[in-house]
Amino acid sequence: MSVIAPKFKFSEFVKSILDNLFWFLLIFALIGVPLVQIILFYVEMPVINGELLTPFLALTWLADPSRTLPILKAFMTTDLFRIAAFPGFGFAALLAAGTIFVERKMLAKLQLRVGPFYCGKIEGILQLMGDGLKLLSKEIIIPAKADKPIFWAAPVIFVGAAAAFVALIPVAPGWVVADVDVGLLAVFAVIGFFPIITILSAWSANSKFPFIGGIRALHQMVSFEIPLILSLLGVVILTGTLNLSEIAASQSAFPWIVFLPVGAIVFFITILAELERIPFDLPEAESEIVAGWLTEFSGMMYGLVQLGTYLKLYAFAALFVVLFLGGWNGPMIWPPFPEEIITKGIEAGPITVQIPGLPLFSQETLNGIVWFVIKTVGVIFFILLPRGVFPRIRIDMLLSLGWYKLIGMAFINIFIALGLLYAGVLGPGGML
Amino acid sequence: MFGFAVAAMAPALIISRMISPRKKSNPVKFLPMECGQVPSGEGRTHFMMQYYAYILMFVVFDVMAIFLYAWGSTILELPKSATLPIIGFLGIMFAAMAFALYQSGRRNIW
Repeated sequence: MSVIAPKFKFSEFVKSILDNLFWFLLIFALIGVPLVQIILFYVEMPVINGELLTPFLALTWLADPSRTLPILKAFMTTDLFRIAAFPGFGFAALLAAGTIFVERKMLAKLQLRVGPFYCGKIEGILQLMGDGLKLLSKEIIIPAKADKPIFWAAPVIFVGAAAAFVALIPVAPGWVVADVDVGLLAVFAVIGFFPIITILSAWSANSKFPFIGGIRALHQMVSFEIPLILSLLGVVILTGTLNLSEIAASQSAFPWIVFLPVGAIVFFITILAELERIPFDLPEAESEIVAGWLTEFSGMMYGLVQLGTYLKLYAFAALFVVLFLGGWNGPMIWPPFPEEIITKGIEAGPITVQIPGLPLFSQETLNGIVWFVIKTVGVIFFILLPRGVFPRIRIDMLLSLGWYKLIGMAFINIFIALGLLYAGVLGPGGML
Repeated sequence: MFGFAVAAMAPALIISRMISPRKKSNPVKFLPMECGQVPSGEGRTHFMMQYYAYILMFVVFDVMAIFLYAWGSTILELPKSATLPIIGFLGIMFAAMAFALYQSGRRNIW
């Protein structure tokens, strides 16, 4: 029988924990609290319950429950909340983490395997956390003669570009990080960064497999960018705007996939190619060129690239939903917030608790979020599904598919949109 | 959002660097991955892809595709007669693309 730690002493174990606790509390009290107070002096604070929230009052929400929700509501209107939590990074990372787990489990079921099973008792639900800790605690090895600054920066910039893509996606009416008027062009600009990051990291590794994988990624992303751009022109013609929020709002009656199914199919195939998913996973073809352009990444650098990949997957699926499936539009299924809680408070036996500031989200917002998440998860499912079914295709087949068939179909889509507009079916003064 | 992601993710690399083991190196540890062989030649080699023509076509047609968006986003305000020149532009673009694809299919000239 093997012993985990042969010289284990319980007293030393307790001592080490107490030591760590002591140092944590000391550093927090001496540096953490003053730092928070100094930062709060420079932040514009909201007015809560008729008095300005000074840094001295900022932590009172811990003690006074009646101030908690107003402070939380004031925080939810700030840019930081939008970027870090709800329509931005936290929300996308949560969906991406769910995607990774569902992908592993679903592929295993498709291929009659078990998949992650032991970690976390219930069907391996903590596997992702275990993988994250493993990646975090592994040594980062940089190959000799690599271009170190670029090699270190590439995974971080990859995650950053994926997050910039996520920032452009409207989740519910008014809930978008960056509501720009040229949203679709901004999306194309961000997509254009990914081949550059890929080829830079591949070049900097000074190794042959990443180099070949990077060149393949460049070819693939470049040749599928034109069908991607052309297939979305039909939607822009019919809505007359480039703003993603307005495009989503314009589909309250019909989603555009009803009128432009050809464009939706072309866009879906180009999504698969831009995300390097099977059957278009030539840049990472693990049975041909080890791991493609990811070969030399180790430890947390690989973890960051994976995080960026799945953020990108979420962003593309959400873009499909916004452009073709109607975004947040859908019938009202969210129950209205009970009025008694606002007027009377919650009664539990003899105690009545008044909670000012409820509800946090309006009914329309929650309904929109629910519909958006349902549709996005459906699209993500269809993006994952080919991985269990299809083989990988050759690069000449890939290029001929992208340049001959998809571009032709994208042109057909443009003429369908023009025909719908000039036949008077859609657009101003149209039948619908 | 880009800045936030960079600011939030760079510490992950730093923490990883702090808590991960840094074993003593040996001569083969930092070699580029080549399936166990000692790599020979340069890492950044000249690699013949044979599909160079598509890259050239991308440079031209990507710009033309973006031009179409300037027209597509304002089409509801334009008079209907303004569509005809664009149809001509699409025709020129399509013909040029067909010719370029025909030329890139002729492998013997590349």
